[in-house]
Amino acid sequence: MPKTILVVDDELDIRQSVKQILEVNGYTVETAVDGDDCLKKLNELTPDLILMDIMMPGTPVGDVVKQITDIKIAFMSVVRISDARKRGLCTQDNIVDFFQKPFNVSDLIDRVELVLSE
Amino acid sequence: MDIGKFDIKKIILSKLNIKLTLLFIIVGLVAPSLALYYFYTISLSAMTLSLSPEKAPLLKTAIVTIVILIAVNAGVLGFFVSKSISKPIKELYKATRKVEKGNYNVRLDIKTNDEIYELAQAFNKTTASLGRLEEERKEIDSAKTEFLSITSHELRSPMTPMKAQLQMLEEGYFGALNKKQKESLGIVIRNADRLDNIIVDFLEVSRIEAARLKFNFKDTDMAQTVQDNVKFMEGFAKEKNIDLITNIDKLPIIEVDPDRVSQVFRNLINNAIKFSNDKSKIKINAELINEYILFSIRDYGCGLSSDNQIRVFEPFYQVENANRRRHGGTGLGLAICRGIVESQNGKIWVESQPGKGCKFNFTIPLKPVRNIKPIKILFSQKGVIERKIKEEFKTILGPLGLGEFNELKSKNSLGKEDLFEYVDSLTGMYIIPPERGVDFKNRLQKIYGDEKEVINRKEDTLHESLGDEVFK
Repeated sequence: MPKTILVVDDELDIRQSVKQILEVNGYTVETAVDGDDCLKKLNELTPDLILMDIMMPGTPVGDVVKQITDIKIAFMSVVRISDARKRGLCTQDNIVDFFQKPFNVSDLIDRVELVLSE
Repeated sequence: MDIGKFDIKKIILSKLNIKLTLLFIIVGLVAPSLALYYFYTISLSAMTLSLSPEKAPLLKTAIVTIVILIAVNAGVLGFFVSKSISKPIKELYKATRKVEKGNYNVRLDIKTNDEIYELAQAFNKTTASLGRLEEERKEIDSAKTEFLSITSHELRSPMTPMKAQLQMLEEGYFGALNKKQKESLGIVIRNADRLDNIIVDFLEVSRIEAARLKFNFKDTDMAQTVQDNVKFMEGFAKEKNIDLITNIDKLPIIEVDPDRVSQVFRNLINNAIKFSNDKSKIKINAELINEYILFSIRDYGCGLSSDNQIRVFEPFYQVENANRRRHGGTGLGLAICRGIVESQNGKIWVESQPGKGCKFNFTIPLKPVRNIKPIKILFSQKGVIERKIKEEFKTILGPLGLGEFNELKSKNSLGKEDLFEYVDSLTGMYIIPPERGVDFKNRLQKIYGDEKEVINRKEDTLHESLGDEVFK
């Protein structure tokens, strides 16, 4: 049974690129366009990991992730992890990784594999 | 509002005051004395017969007393009159000095209802508009930094899918590529990486300028850090068969951000490798000097002219345009190094002679600076140096200086060599005496040597060692 990953990003090209990378590596990928869409999608499916941008329109990501407690989340962002921490993100236990955009494809795959095996 | 206050001693000793008071005393003495003298002689000649000889000296004494009293009165009057003039002038002077130092909140409160009052009003208006301009300048400056930060983030966003797609192509996600496709893709990837590096550097510059540079201080064994960095760079050095020779003193464990130190270190070693010839060597030293650790990276490459020695720390300054393509890089590396080092109250400078290599030095204080100050990176250094040179031109050449300076500037001839040549031509044509020429050169040297002054006594020995090694 392949593992499912939910990719949340407001940029189509990024959603599509990440989806392609993950699918080629054997994951099932669902996408959402922002935080609200992500919460809606979570009603229907329970992914093994959520890959989420931290700056999206709609409900602030900080508020969205507070409602997700039992699924692993990894952030993707152009800002650095120190700036994300300053915004009060990255405090929950289920936040498992932080991908600095632009990410390296093989690095992304390695780390996704790692967090899913833990 | 900031109104200058004065102590009584200064008012009494004021030169203007003394002059005016003396004037009043003299006038006060001479005028009544002359009047009384004539009155005395006339009355004596008229009343010689009626005036008894005993009363004559009495009259004389009375007259002298009157003269002295008038003089004293005139003096006191003069003092107060002159005080009313000199006090506002002194206030004006003091306020001007404050404005000169950048305090634009100074306002004069002079209510004399005369020309000085008008002058004070004009001064207040000018100062207020200067203050507004300064405010505007600050706003524009922070807007520049903010703009840099926002655009850099915005530029990084499209890089994300671009790089992802390129890497997927490269790694064969969409099928195998033939040789020509691979070559083409290689060029795109290399340049996408380069573009991304420029954006990353822009972000770093905006952080330094906005004092948002992060330092994660921890106790660090500096000798170990240097060794680690040298080891890390050895791979790159091997490509050109360059030996990295280290000479590291016993260094204390200090509180620094090892990543930031490494960033500077690697950048400097990387530059040294870039500008070294194949099969040469690079010497890396670290030593403890008083409150600092001094690091130096010495190469035996093409070296820098004295002009380029200051300018290498300017953003986007590349020694030769041809080198830029050959050596790559974003043109911001050394400017960022300077920002990082100066954020920690350290200094960074270069010693070099063309054709004989460079020695880049930087210092890190033993105590970390936690309160980071903003440092101007984009277009700052050059402006400071130009301003200083302009001042010297005005000092040495007087009213002519400004025109001469502007002419040299328009010819882009404000480098040290150019200026020295210019001073020689002045003394050659006897426009200024030779001693003044030497003085001029010394002052210019000081401006260009500013970067070096910091290391204090050790500086001389550094120069010697450099000279002994290669420069002789």
